[in-house]
Amino acid sequence: MIILALDALDLHQVKKFNCKNLMQTEYGQTDISNFKQERTVVLWASFLTGRNMEKEIPIKTQWEFQLSPEQTFLRFFKTHKTVDMPTLSYKQQNHVEERKLLKGYFEDKATVEEYETVIWRNHEENKKEFFGNLEKFDLVVGYFNLADSIGHLSFGITEKMAEVYRELDQIANEVRDSSNPILIISDHGMKAVGRYGDHTRNGFYSFNRKLRLSFPKITSFHNLIKRIAENERS
Amino acid sequence: MESHLRELEKKSIAIIREAKAQFKNPAVLWSTGKDSTATLWLCKKAFFGKIPFPVIHIDTSYQFPEIYEFRDKIAKDWGLNLLIAKNEKALEKGRSPEKGRFECCTELKTEALKTMIKERNFDALILAIRRDEHGIRAKERYYSPRDENFRWDYKDQPAELWDLYVKPSEDYSHMRVHPILHWTELDVWLYVKQEQLPINPLYYARDGKRYRSLGCMPCTVPIPSTASNIDEIIKELETSKTPERAGRAQDKEKAYMMQKLRSLGYM
Repeated sequence: MIILALDALDLHQVKKFNCKNLMQTEYGQTDISNFKQERTVVLWASFLTGRNMEKEIPIKTQWEFQLSPEQTFLRFFKTHKTVDMPTLSYKQQNHVEERKLLKGYFEDKATVEEYETVIWRNHEENKKEFFGNLEKFDLVVGYFNLADSIGHLSFGITEKMAEVYRELDQIANEVRDSSNPILIISDHGMKAVGRYGDHTRNGFYSFNRKLRLSFPKITSFHNLIKRIAENERS
Repeated sequence: MESHLRELEKKSIAIIREAKAQFKNPAVLWSTGKDSTATLWLCKKAFFGKIPFPVIHIDTSYQFPEIYEFRDKIAKDWGLNLLIAKNEKALEKGRSPEKGRFECCTELKTEALKTMIKERNFDALILAIRRDEHGIRAKERYYSPRDENFRWDYKDQPAELWDLYVKPSEDYSHMRVHPILHWTELDVWLYVKQEQLPINPLYYARDGKRYRSLGCMPCTVPIPSTASNIDEIIKELETSKTPERAGRAQDKEKAYMMQKLRSLGYM
């Protein structure tokens, strides 16, 4: 199975930029209404474990929060590989640098260009690792934060977001011919605040098979993935 | 009077009179800037020289000395019932822009005004905002309901067809009334010139710089300009492509975003 975990991928934007590869056989909006805030780490941890982890993850130390594979749906697969997945294989050094530049932008110590250079560099690194591991494991999870990171400073700039969505759609295009079940999922959506981007509840999911889900909770994918893993084994 | 200014003035005065007639306890906000001073003048004209409701000035204590001088002089000359909204508690605790501009604005402006509204039971506030100031203000109506936290739902506003300004249901805390919403920055300056209104000297260039929009000292920067009188300002605006609020370091979206990213744990 392949999971593309695309941070802040927004249903409306996927449609707006006509990302045909992201919109697989079935796609729609996820339900995160039972979360007080759209916090990245909380939502991904909840997706991985199948339960709302908002109370368990303090905001101050959230980026360092760690889960063991046994606590997540990884345990349903014999072999698995996650690339940069929050709470599992999150590349702390890369993201600390990103957040430092983000803070620097608001304190007039860094430019948007400096920030985006690092984001794209880290994205390319993850892409290489993700594609290098496909077909080698029963489950490969690739996390890409491009839409979130670029979006926070430039969601209101259509050309820039079009480039981001084109890139993510291209990643989906490169895995689409795989015979594996493919789930594409985001933690939350995004909306424009002037040139900037703020989290919304318009999260996205898409699957390359018909599941007939209707506004599924982000925590409900855990059991679905379990069933897929069992089917794949049998 | 120039015909288009006459039309603008006529509509604004009608809105102000409607507000006075429809609301029990209105007040007008006055920053001492050109827009709110022009609005005060319109209020004076609407009621034949005497503004029949209080004028609120939000004092953050970080404003330019020229703002306080101008405020006190005009208040005396025009016989205003001036109320000062000031969050003394926050100032005592040392709240300042250096410790966060968003938080500073929230406490020293929003909270100060909230307290004043609550204490005095104001049900309508007349504000001098204009549609051309900012993208989000283009969505504003002449009558704009706010809840108790000053939240504005732009998707749920009363229609204003045929210039009918109607109070919506009672489901709001107070109403914002925007009598110069349809004016442009240039219109205001043309009106200031025509009516010979007093104007804060900060708008005039000194040493190659002038303020185009007035705010608190730490958060407002001047623009390069040689315009040292109203005619020169008008001439400058007729050719300028820079947004009016470009000199306001207190960029609300940026401040909002920074605050939001902090609350989400990014910073």
